[in-house]
Amino acid sequence: MTATKPDLGTWVGKGIDRVDGPHKVTGTAPYASDVTLPGMVHAVVVTSTVGAGTITKIDTSALLTLPGVRAVFTHENFPRLNPSPDVLFGEAPTAPLQDGRITFHGQEVALVVADTSQEATEAARLIEITYAAEAPLLDPAAGQPEPLPLSPDTSRGDTEAGWAAADVRIGATYRTPENTNNPLGLMGCVAAWDGDHLEIHDTTQGTIALRKTLAAMFGVPESGVRVRVPYLGGGFGAGLNQWPYKLLAAGAARELGRPVKLMLTRPQMFRLVGHRPDTEQQVRLGATRDGTLTMIEHRATVLSSIDFLAVGLITSGTGHLYACPNVATVERTVRLNRRYPTSMRAPGEAEGNWAIETAMDELAYELGMDPLELRLRNLATDLDPASGKPWSSNGVIECCRVGAELFGWSRRDPRPSSMREGDLLLGWGMAAAGFFAYLPMSQARVTVYADGTAAVRSAATDIGTGTYTVITQLAADLLGLHPQQVDCRLGDSDMPASAQSGGSGLASSLSNAVIDAVSHLQGELLTLAGADSPLHGLGPDDVVCRDGALCRRDDPSVRVPIADLLAGQGLVEMSGDGRLRPPDAAAAGMVHAGAYGARFVEVAIDPMIGRLRVRRVVSVTDGGRILNRKLARSQILGATVGGIGQALFEDTLTDPGTGRVANGTFGDYLVAVSADVPDVEVVFVGEPDRYTPSGTKGIGEIGLVGVAAAIGNAVHHATGRRMRDLPITVDQLMM
Amino acid sequence: MKTTRSTAPAPTAQDEYTVDVFTVVNGAPVQWRVDTRTTLLEALRDSSGLTGTKRGCDQGACGACTVHVDGARVVSCLMLAAQVDGRQVTTVEGLIDEEGRLHPLQEAFVRHDAFQCGFCTPGQLMSAVCLLREGRAGSDAEIREYMSGNLCRCGAYDNIVAAVREAAGGGA
Ligand code: FES
Ligand code: FES
Repeated sequence: MTATKPDLGTWVGKGIDRVDGPHKVTGTAPYASDVTLPGMVHAVVVTSTVGAGTITKIDTSALLTLPGVRAVFTHENFPRLNPSPDVLFGEAPTAPLQDGRITFHGQEVALVVADTSQEATEAARLIEITYAAEAPLLDPAAGQPEPLPLSPDTSRGDTEAGWAAADVRIGATYRTPENTNNPLGLMGCVAAWDGDHLEIHDTTQGTIALRKTLAAMFGVPESGVRVRVPYLGGGFGAGLNQWPYKLLAAGAARELGRPVKLMLTRPQMFRLVGHRPDTEQQVRLGATRDGTLTMIEHRATVLSSIDFLAVGLITSGTGHLYACPNVATVERTVRLNRRYPTSMRAPGEAEGNWAIETAMDELAYELGMDPLELRLRNLATDLDPASGKPWSSNGVIECCRVGAELFGWSRRDPRPSSMREGDLLLGWGMAAAGFFAYLPMSQARVTVYADGTAAVRSAATDIGTGTYTVITQLAADLLGLHPQQVDCRLGDSDMPASAQSGGSGLASSLSNAVIDAVSHLQGELLTLAGADSPLHGLGPDDVVCRDGALCRRDDPSVRVPIADLLAGQGLVEMSGDGRLRPPDAAAAGMVHAGAYGARFVEVAIDPMIGRLRVRRVVSVTDGGRILNRKLARSQILGATVGGIGQALFEDTLTDPGTGRVANGTFGDYLVAVSADVPDVEVVFVGEPDRYTPSGTKGIGEIGLVGVAAAIGNAVHHATGRRMRDLPITVDQLMM
Repeated sequence: MKTTRSTAPAPTAQDEYTVDVFTVVNGAPVQWRVDTRTTLLEALRDSSGLTGTKRGCDQGACGACTVHVDGARVVSCLMLAAQVDGRQVTTVEGLIDEEGRLHPLQEAFVRHDAFQCGFCTPGQLMSAVCLLREGRAGSDAEIREYMSGNLCRCGAYDNIVAAVREAAGGGA
């Protein structure tokens, strides 16, 4: 890594307004759905009405006579595509329209292209398809369990010995349903070819992975494929994969020689861009009388589609949060005739934490111990219990203590149904939370201009997390400029390659790339300083940029204006390229820690009608160095809303006979609305993380982890009923 | 809702699938020759290039497409373009004043970080403007209730409430 610690602190951390805010409130921020190109035609995806089988006949001749219809693509005439390359988060699920095979209800089976979207929609409705339908495989018990590549089984110590040694034991089964990411922006793209060059405006969270996929599958040079995503209407994981719709639009555009716009409908968003898959989990915990854990066993089964595996990660955090000598995790998946799974905000942790943190509450009640006390006794903060090496940082205990204090946890009467307000039952629950560290590769370019301004460029996307803003703040500090003098542009694969926004890895990855780029930029600027310059002979880390000048780090009064350095060589700008330089973990002697949290929740339940309101949430997070307090708080707020949705509403239902999504609209699939959400108290604790120079941790997902379990535990406290299946609905609460 | 019609002629059917619509959008007269099936949302976005109004569901369930018709909020995905013939339509592009200054609610949204991806934001703003006009910002609970037709999947609700509260004069 860069030898010198960067000087951060003038702008980094400050809660400045989002730099893209004015665009977003005036409706001028361009999303893929807003793109119109000359000669553009509109495509609508037709989906299968059976859950398994093959297409025996598609009659498209009548459609081609309808007004405006230009083409109908099916497996009989869609171009053959090359195999999908392996990119981050997996290959494309399946190349679309290559054969007539149906693996799930609602799968892409045809594409209608017309001059207007109305004409395409109308024609798509009239298409006639005959299937040789088969009975879809939908019962997990009838499927074949198989391991998940990203979630290997783990084991340490001897769990059976730990079980035998325990004074108190609990064991139970927990379930989480399918949730659909449902970013508010409908996903889709506009694809346009110019010879072998392809430009696509899309809703991907990762421009580079999509570029690689399109180039490989269409057999064109990667250098000629450009993916543009300056803005996208959220993603929450749905934009991580190389979904078939992108290939359909690109294929149709190439065949027709015209730009093609393809936007999915909301019902299609439930089928074609992934979801958080269902899990069933068995947890066994053992502890001695004093609450010391003697064993943890966590088994999970997660559902996959026939051709595309779930990510998993349900059990992968389990061995790291609590210092327990005997831990075993087992994770399996079953392929069914279900739609493609993917990552959804806090993938794996959201589901696994529900089981583990509910089980911990159950154990606390079995022990007759305060649930907070049980956490504090067992949380592993100094050493990673799996490797025995020190964490790069771990503030989970501080999260618990600070949260308990703010919430007033000490005033809690632990007896179920003991706290009331009029006819309402009050419940107080808590949960601890962790989210894995993930540091993918990113690159960035930092450029300074003769007029004293600067630019940062990277192919990364800002999905609403605030990447534009925090990178602007970071660059302002590194260059000694005001944020208004820094122009940050992202979302274009023609810029330096970057990781996707996903896995809570981008802020750390990209900020360290920017730090590295500035160091290189300083080195480049030094080469412009001649032998008579006061900076001559200094190294890149002996200088800093300040207010448009290159200065001695130890004596900033020794300075040369950057404009002079450039002019001396006839230059108008100078750039430095940088990349993440991950430390060698072994050499660093530490384990890279993710973010931590603790959630404290109050619910009020009307026992007569089973109505549950979340009344208070205190959410404490160790997010390492916080780049922007205001935007960081928004990340935790938003994730809390997601957690409330997971706990109380979100449940994508599959018809057991056909495999069809039974509630695939925003009218039927409930998400948390404003009236469901209380004022959330958000607090950050902890120190800058030691693992990278930026000191950051990802905070896009940690805020969701633990919310559902804290709510479920609060419901138990209010009612004495143990919630093990999500979502928690009225019928579970009627007295 | 006010349904007073102007003196503009009724929509003229050109052929089975085409209709002429005369309307006023953000204060300027507009004429659309559109497919009869075209929604107000599509006409605004595709015929007038006013892409600030967003489509989140096309089913009247998310509020992203909220605009004002004769001063009342409507979800423009559930209204046909032909229905606004002779009426006044306001979109998010119409919130800034003649000098290009942001509406106080737009400023409050930025200050309170009342959005993340920004996709729901035009609809939230259009709802909030009406909510203030309707006198429905008396308490946080009332704001939450009357803003609950606008989904925010990024979960910016607390900040939206704070922005509306401030714009209503209740302070931050
Ligand atoms: S797009 Fe109109 S309500 Fe969702
Ligand atoms: S800001 Fe993304 S949906 Fe509201």
